Amino acid sequence: MTTTTNRQAIRPPWAFLVLVALLVAGRFLLAPHLTDPALRTWATVFVAVCVQAIPFLVFGVALSAAITAFVPASFWTRALPRRTYAAVPVAGVAGAVLPGCECASVPVASGLMARGVAAPAALAFLLASPAINPVVLAATAVAFPGEPSMVAARFAASLAVAVLAGWIWARFGRAAWSPAPRRPAAPGQGRWAAFLDAMCHDLLHAGGYLVVGALAAATLNVVIPREWLTALGGVPVVSVLVLALLAVLLSICSEADAFVAASLTAFSPTAKLAFLVVGPIVDLKLIALHTGTFGRAFARRFVPLVLVLAIAVSFLSGWALL
Amino acid sequence: MTRQAQGWLLVVLGATLLSVSAFSAMYANYVRPGFRPVLIATGAVLVALGLLAAFRSRPGHAPRVAWLLAAPVFAIVLVAPPALGSYAARRQQAPPPPATAYSGAPAADLTLGEFIGRAQGGSLAGRRVRLTGFVVTTEGGWHLARMRINCCAADALALEVTVHGAPAPPEDSWVRVTGTWMPGKDDPSGAYVPPAISATEVVPVEPPAEPYEEPA
Repeated sequence: MTTTTNRQAIRPPWAFLVLVALLVAGRFLLAPHLTDPALRTWATVFVAVCVQAIPFLVFGVALSAAITAFVPASFWTRALPRRTYAAVPVAGVAGAVLPGCECASVPVASGLMARGVAAPAALAFLLASPAINPVVLAATAVAFPGEPSMVAARFAASLAVAVLAGWIWARFGRAAWSPAPRRPAAPGQGRWAAFLDAMCHDLLHAGGYLVVGALAAATLNVVIPREWLTALGGVPVVSVLVLALLAVLLSICSEADAFVAASLTAFSPTAKLAFLVVGPIVDLKLIALHTGTFGRAFARRFVPLVLVLAIAVSFLSGWALL
Repeated sequence: MTRQAQGWLLVVLGATLLSVSAFSAMYANYVRPGFRPVLIATGAVLVALGLLAAFRSRPGHAPRVAWLLAAPVFAIVLVAPPALGSYAARRQQAPPPPATAYSGAPAADLTLGEFIGRAQGGSLAGRRVRLTGFVVTTEGGWHLARMRINCCAADALALEVTVHGAPAPPEDSWVRVTGTWMPGKDDPSGAYVPPAISATEVVPVEPPAEPYEEPA
């Protein structure tokens, strides 16, 4: 062990040197040519999504690592009802206490699973948290002044999707689709070492995928002409599906999506609700994060399930509440 | 990807976040000004975590996709993405804000959001106001524009005021327009028409440190 340490410590930091060399070379050779307005707009949106999301991801990863390293598994068995079907709604409502957007909730849910929380309950938490926490509901109320029914509908629909998805996963989900739980701390490893390892591991796994999502979202943000949307705004059912799809493609943080929804004035309230319900549950950035955190087998099944649920519940609650 | 490479990648990412937040004002092109302390803290945490990972012995592997964490670093260093300008303003226009009544002393400086809200209320008649924004040229005229963000530049929407009585300055340059509100005509098709200002003076100004407007 000691020899490995020494050998690693004296190896030159190749990754660092190569990165810096590429950056310096690019700065002098490429930078003067990268001035096209479309490219710069794209880069601004891409960097903005990353810069906005990375702090939330780091926060979520730290919280998740703290859950694995410092909170004993017995705490969760006491805090949540023993039966999975009862634990799902409790975990969904508990999502309201994590103030943040969806990038934080993915690693936290993974940490909960690693600590023995049943996968359906952790997933209900993952789905509910970005949509029903007080910060997001307050932003929604500000974006839709004089329309408290929109806040109520968002809360009800998002919680309903989370609980239904949890129950469906409890009934039909297989352990094989769910992620392999993270290995517990190696024997002899301190809690802080376990905390740091878990944090690095999660950050690099989820971070790379987050960037994939940001690349896709920035590209679509710059490429989709807004006139297409306005043209479709008047068609009843199609308009709801269009905004649901737009929520997936744009990948806007759940703390800001209400303002964008409010700006889509050509669309019906139900379509706007679908935008608000689908966005925090499925978007490109989240699909990438799910794949990175829980694996492909999981994302391939979970993403279509929650997308269909979110659209169906939006139709229902838009019809009932708006 | 070795543990050492992972560590250095985090160091470079953290240092980039610090350079746009702690050591320059570039972050204001991407997120709201209030987010700065969060970015500084995140940058510091990433640098510390990366150094710890680079010098610790435990083996650990990360998928290749983790290298993509360098992509935002390259975007920042190579493109130095500026604040959104006329290209973005042409694409996404903000909806008219709720009408606001003009109140208080004759405040000369208004944000574009304030001007547009008050123009709807019709309480600007005869008042001289000063507005600051960048230039978006249109067929036969120009707009004074500014982007409004709620969270980050991905949700930016353009606030626009049509300027009459002055020739168009260069596209994307920042100007301060002094003038009075002009009552406009509604579009026959019912589409939103931005309010207009009759300019008496147009002065070029430096781009502001905080390029975006925030919601009231």
